Amino acid sequence: MSEPITINAKGLDCPQPVILTKKVLEAHDDVVVLVDNTTAKENIKRLGSNAGCSVEVADEAEGVFRIHLKKQGGAASCSAPPEYPCCDADVPAAPVGPSVFVIASDTMGRGNDELGAVLMKAFIHTTTELEAGPDVMVFYNTGVKLTSEESDVLDDLKQLEEKGVKMLVCGTCVNYFDLTGKVAAGVVSNMYDIAGILSRAGRVVQP
Amino acid sequence: MTKEPVKYFVACFESVSHVMYAERILKETHVLHKLIPIPRAISSNCGICIRFLPEHREIFENTLAGKVEGFEIRKL
Repeated sequence: MSEPITINAKGLDCPQPVILTKKVLEAHDDVVVLVDNTTAKENIKRLGSNAGCSVEVADEAEGVFRIHLKKQGGAASCSAPPEYPCCDADVPAAPVGPSVFVIASDTMGRGNDELGAVLMKAFIHTTTELEAGPDVMVFYNTGVKLTSEESDVLDDLKQLEEKGVKMLVCGTCVNYFDLTGKVAAGVVSNMYDIAGILSRAGRVVQP
Repeated sequence: MTKEPVKYFVACFESVSHVMYAERILKETHVLHKLIPIPRAISSNCGICIRFLPEHREIFENTLAGKVEGFEIRKL
Protein backbone atom coordinates (compact mmCIF):
# COMPACT_ATOMS: atom_id res chain seq x y z
CA MET A 1 0.00 0.00 0.00
CA SER A 2 1.37 3.42 -0.95
CA GLU A 3 2.39 6.07 1.53
CA PRO A 4 0.01 8.99 2.05
CA ILE A 5 0.79 12.31 0.39
CA THR A 6 1.97 14.77 3.05
CA ILE A 7 1.10 18.45 2.89
CA ASN A 8 3.16 20.73 5.06
CA ALA A 9 0.77 23.60 5.78
CA LYS A 10 2.60 24.85 8.85
CA GLY A 11 3.00 28.59 8.98
CA LEU A 12 0.48 29.16 6.21
CA ASP A 13 -2.24 31.73 6.68
CA CYS A 14 -5.85 30.83 6.22
CA PRO A 15 -7.37 29.86 3.85
CA GLN A 16 -4.22 28.36 2.30
CA PRO A 17 -4.19 25.08 4.31
CA VAL A 18 -7.77 24.26 3.30
CA ILE A 19 -7.23 25.22 -0.33
CA LEU A 20 -4.07 23.13 -0.54
CA THR A 21 -5.73 20.15 1.09
CA LYS A 22 -8.76 20.39 -1.16
CA LYS A 23 -6.56 20.41 -4.28
CA VAL A 24 -4.52 17.42 -3.18
CA LEU A 25 -7.64 15.51 -2.10
CA GLU A 26 -9.04 15.85 -5.59
CA ALA A 27 -6.15 13.80 -6.97
CA HIS A 28 -5.24 11.53 -4.05
CA ASP A 29 -7.10 9.21 -1.70
CA ASP A 30 -4.71 9.26 1.23
CA VAL A 31 -3.46 12.58 2.53
CA VAL A 32 -1.70 13.78 5.67
CA VAL A 33 -1.80 17.49 6.50
CA LEU A 34 0.46 19.20 9.02
CA VAL A 35 -0.89 22.43 10.47
CA ASP A 36 0.09 24.59 13.42
CA ASN A 37 -3.17 26.24 14.43
CA THR A 38 -6.49 24.93 15.69
CA THR A 39 -8.65 26.90 13.24
CA ALA A 40 -6.93 25.23 10.28
CA LYS A 41 -7.13 21.86 12.06
CA GLU A 42 -10.89 22.16 12.60
CA ASN A 43 -11.54 23.36 9.06
CA ILE A 44 -9.48 20.58 7.49
CA LYS A 45 -11.26 18.03 9.69
CA ARG A 46 -14.58 19.39 8.43
CA LEU A 47 -13.35 19.40 4.84
CA GLY A 48 -12.34 15.76 5.22
CA SER A 49 -15.69 14.74 6.70
CA ASN A 50 -17.60 16.60 4.00
CA ALA A 51 -15.47 14.89 1.35
CA GLY A 52 -16.33 11.45 2.72
CA CYS A 53 -12.92 10.76 4.26
CA SER A 54 -11.97 9.12 7.51
CA VAL A 55 -10.31 11.74 9.70
CA GLU A 56 -7.63 11.04 12.29
CA VAL A 57 -5.89 13.78 14.22
CA ALA A 58 -2.69 13.37 16.18
CA ASP A 59 -0.23 15.73 17.85
CA GLU A 60 2.85 15.74 15.66
CA ALA A 61 4.90 18.04 17.87
CA GLU A 62 4.14 20.89 20.23
CA GLY A 63 1.50 23.04 18.55
CA VAL A 64 1.59 20.98 15.36
CA PHE A 65 -1.30 18.73 14.35
CA ARG A 66 -1.15 15.81 11.96
CA ILE A 67 -4.46 15.22 10.20
CA HIS A 68 -4.78 12.01 8.27
CA LEU A 69 -7.56 12.04 5.66
CA LYS A 70 -8.39 8.83 3.86
CA LYS A 71 -11.13 8.52 1.30
CA GLN A 72 -13.72 5.91 2.10
CA GLY A 73 -15.63 3.80 -0.44
CA GLY A 74 -15.64 4.77 -4.12
CA ALA A 75 -13.29 7.58 -5.02
CA ALA A 76 -15.91 9.22 -7.20
CA SER A 77 -18.09 10.03 -4.21
CA CYS A 78 -15.23 11.54 -2.26
CA SER A 79 -14.49 14.81 -3.98
CA ALA A 80 -14.51 17.80 -1.71
CA PRO A 81 -17.42 20.20 -2.01
CA PRO A 82 -16.58 22.82 -4.66
CA GLU A 83 -17.36 25.83 -2.52
CA TYR A 84 -15.81 24.96 0.74
CA PRO A 85 -15.90 28.00 3.02
CA CYS A 86 -12.75 29.87 3.78
CA CYS A 87 -11.14 28.89 7.06
CA ASP A 88 -10.09 32.41 7.95
CA ALA A 89 -11.87 33.19 11.18
CA ASP A 90 -11.76 36.91 10.35
CA VAL A 91 -13.71 36.50 7.13
CA PRO A 92 -17.34 35.71 7.91
CA ALA A 93 -18.85 32.94 5.85
CA ALA A 94 -22.14 33.58 4.09
CA PRO A 95 -24.99 33.40 6.60
CA VAL A 96 -26.59 30.00 6.67
CA GLY A 97 -29.49 30.65 9.04
CA PRO A 98 -32.66 32.52 8.19
CA SER A 99 -32.79 36.28 7.80
CA VAL A 100 -34.79 37.56 10.76
CA PHE A 101 -36.32 41.03 11.00
CA VAL A 102 -36.98 42.02 14.59
CA ILE A 103 -39.84 44.45 15.11
CA ALA A 104 -39.42 45.34 18.76
CA SER A 105 -41.56 48.45 18.70
CA ASP A 106 -44.35 50.07 16.73
CA THR A 107 -42.04 53.02 16.17
CA MET A 108 -38.70 53.29 14.37
CA GLY A 109 -35.91 54.99 16.22
CA ARG A 110 -36.04 56.92 19.46
CA GLY A 111 -36.92 60.52 20.07
CA ASN A 112 -40.33 61.33 18.71
CA ASP A 113 -42.95 58.57 18.74
CA GLU A 114 -45.25 60.24 16.23
CA LEU A 115 -42.42 60.48 13.74
CA GLY A 116 -41.25 56.99 14.73
CA ALA A 117 -44.69 55.54 13.90
CA VAL A 118 -44.59 57.11 10.45
CA LEU A 119 -41.09 55.74 9.85
CA MET A 120 -42.10 52.25 10.95
CA LYS A 121 -45.05 52.22 8.55
CA ALA A 122 -42.70 53.24 5.74
CA PHE A 123 -40.19 50.58 6.79
CA ILE A 124 -42.74 47.77 6.81
CA HIS A 125 -44.10 48.87 3.45
CA THR A 126 -40.59 48.97 1.98
CA THR A 127 -39.88 45.50 3.37
CA THR A 128 -42.44 44.10 0.92
CA GLU A 129 -40.26 45.37 -1.92
CA LEU A 130 -36.84 44.32 -0.66
CA GLU A 131 -34.72 41.92 -2.70
CA ALA A 132 -33.03 40.57 0.39
CA GLY A 133 -36.14 40.54 2.51
CA PRO A 134 -36.78 38.56 5.66
CA ASP A 135 -37.42 34.84 6.02
CA VAL A 136 -38.87 35.42 9.46
CA MET A 137 -40.26 38.47 11.25
CA VAL A 138 -40.46 38.57 15.01
CA PHE A 139 -42.77 41.02 16.76
CA TYR A 140 -42.50 41.83 20.42
CA ASN A 141 -43.25 44.60 22.91
CA THR A 142 -45.27 47.35 21.15
CA GLY A 143 -44.22 45.79 17.83
CA VAL A 144 -47.11 43.32 18.25
CA LYS A 145 -49.58 46.18 17.74
CA LEU A 146 -48.55 46.22 14.08
CA THR A 147 -50.02 42.74 13.63
CA SER A 148 -53.42 43.60 15.06
CA GLU A 149 -56.55 43.87 12.95
CA GLU A 150 -56.48 47.66 13.40
CA SER A 151 -52.92 48.03 12.18
CA ASP A 152 -52.14 50.43 9.36
CA VAL A 153 -49.59 47.99 7.95
CA LEU A 154 -51.73 44.86 8.03
CA ASP A 155 -51.97 44.67 4.23
CA ASP A 156 -48.17 44.83 3.97
CA LEU A 157 -47.75 42.09 6.56
CA LYS A 158 -50.31 39.89 4.82
CA GLN A 159 -48.50 40.42 1.54
CA LEU A 160 -45.26 39.32 3.20
CA GLU A 161 -46.97 36.25 4.63
CA GLU A 162 -48.26 35.36 1.18
CA LYS A 163 -44.67 35.54 -0.04
CA GLY A 164 -43.77 32.93 2.57
CA VAL A 165 -42.40 35.11 5.36
CA LYS A 166 -42.98 33.43 8.72
CA MET A 167 -44.17 35.79 11.46
CA LEU A 168 -43.85 35.13 15.16
CA VAL A 169 -45.87 37.38 17.45
CA CYS A 170 -45.00 37.44 21.16
CA GLY A 171 -47.95 35.99 23.07
CA THR A 172 -47.02 37.65 26.36
CA CYS A 173 -47.02 41.01 24.62
CA VAL A 174 -50.34 40.31 22.88
CA ASN A 175 -51.82 39.55 26.27
CA TYR A 176 -50.28 42.63 27.88
CA PHE A 177 -51.71 44.98 25.26
CA ASP A 178 -55.09 43.25 25.40
CA LEU A 179 -54.88 42.14 21.79
CA THR A 180 -55.86 38.51 22.36
CA GLY A 181 -58.03 37.41 19.43
CA LYS A 182 -57.14 40.55 17.50
CA VAL A 183 -53.86 39.42 15.93
CA ALA A 184 -54.50 39.33 12.20
CA ALA A 185 -51.04 38.53 10.82
CA GLY A 186 -48.53 35.88 11.86
CA VAL A 187 -48.87 33.31 14.60
CA VAL A 188 -49.00 34.06 18.30
CA SER A 189 -45.85 32.47 19.59
CA ASN A 190 -43.73 32.10 22.69
CA MET A 191 -40.26 32.93 23.93
CA TYR A 192 -38.95 29.43 23.14
CA ASP A 193 -39.70 29.92 19.45
CA ILE A 194 -38.57 33.54 19.43
CA ALA A 195 -35.29 32.88 21.23
CA GLY A 196 -34.81 29.76 19.10
CA ILE A 197 -35.18 31.54 15.77
CA LEU A 198 -32.98 34.44 16.91
CA SER A 199 -30.25 32.03 18.00
CA ARG A 200 -30.31 30.25 14.63
CA ALA A 201 -30.51 33.42 12.54
CA GLY A 202 -27.96 34.01 9.82
CA ARG A 203 -28.77 37.72 9.85
CA VAL A 204 -30.79 39.85 12.24
CA VAL A 205 -32.18 43.20 11.13
CA GLN A 206 -33.75 45.54 13.66
CA PRO A 207 -35.07 48.87 12.42
CA MET B 1 -51.62 50.49 -27.51
CA THR B 2 -53.83 51.22 -24.53
CA LYS B 3 -52.52 53.17 -21.61
CA GLU B 4 -52.38 51.34 -18.31
CA PRO B 5 -54.91 52.68 -15.83
CA VAL B 6 -53.54 54.62 -12.88
CA LYS B 7 -53.33 52.30 -9.91
CA TYR B 8 -52.65 54.91 -7.25
CA PHE B 9 -52.03 58.57 -6.66
CA VAL B 10 -49.57 59.87 -4.13
CA ALA B 11 -49.69 63.19 -2.36
CA CYS B 12 -46.30 64.72 -1.58
CA PHE B 13 -46.19 67.33 1.17
CA GLU B 14 -43.84 70.14 2.13
CA SER B 15 -42.61 68.35 5.23
CA VAL B 16 -43.12 65.20 7.24
CA SER B 17 -45.02 67.29 9.79
CA HIS B 18 -47.53 68.13 7.05
CA VAL B 19 -47.79 64.40 6.25
CA MET B 20 -48.51 63.56 9.89
CA TYR B 21 -51.08 66.33 10.19
CA ALA B 22 -52.78 65.24 6.96
CA GLU B 23 -52.76 61.62 8.11
CA ARG B 24 -54.49 62.57 11.35
CA ILE B 25 -57.25 64.36 9.44
CA LEU B 26 -57.67 61.51 6.96
CA LYS B 27 -57.92 59.00 9.81
CA GLU B 28 -60.50 61.04 11.69
CA THR B 29 -62.62 61.35 8.56
CA HIS B 30 -62.09 57.70 7.54
CA VAL B 31 -60.61 58.50 4.15
CA LEU B 32 -58.74 55.42 2.91
CA HIS B 33 -55.05 56.10 2.50
CA LYS B 34 -51.63 54.67 3.18
CA LEU B 35 -48.34 56.18 4.26
CA ILE B 36 -45.44 55.04 2.07
CA PRO B 37 -41.91 56.25 1.38
CA ILE B 38 -41.83 58.60 -1.62
CA PRO B 39 -41.17 56.29 -4.59
CA ARG B 40 -37.69 56.69 -6.09
CA ALA B 41 -39.22 57.47 -9.47
CA ILE B 42 -40.76 60.61 -7.99
CA SER B 43 -37.99 61.83 -5.73
CA SER B 44 -34.69 60.63 -4.40
CA ASN B 45 -35.37 62.43 -1.13
CA CYS B 46 -35.88 60.42 2.00
CA GLY B 47 -39.48 61.40 2.38
CA ILE B 48 -42.89 60.03 3.19
CA CYS B 49 -45.99 60.53 1.11
CA ILE B 50 -49.62 59.47 1.26
CA ARG B 51 -50.94 57.00 -1.29
CA PHE B 52 -54.60 56.70 -2.23
CA LEU B 53 -56.79 55.18 -4.91
CA PRO B 54 -57.83 57.25 -7.96
CA GLU B 55 -61.50 56.94 -6.98
CA HIS B 56 -60.72 58.60 -3.66
CA ARG B 57 -59.02 61.62 -5.16
CA GLU B 58 -61.96 63.94 -4.79
CA ILE B 59 -62.70 63.10 -1.17
CA PHE B 60 -58.97 63.20 -0.42
CA GLU B 61 -58.59 66.71 -1.77
CA ASN B 62 -61.87 67.94 -0.28
CA THR B 63 -60.99 66.60 3.15
CA LEU B 64 -57.65 68.35 3.23
CA ALA B 65 -58.83 71.55 1.54
CA GLY B 66 -58.23 74.59 3.72
CA LYS B 67 -56.49 72.47 6.36
CA VAL B 68 -53.28 71.34 4.74
CA GLU B 69 -51.76 73.46 2.01
CA GLY B 70 -49.08 72.98 -0.55
CA PHE B 71 -49.24 69.33 -1.41
CA GLU B 72 -48.74 67.92 -4.85
CA ILE B 73 -50.60 64.94 -6.27
CA ARG B 74 -48.74 62.62 -8.62
CA LYS B 75 -49.64 59.45 -10.46
CA LEU B 76 -47.88 56.31 -9.34
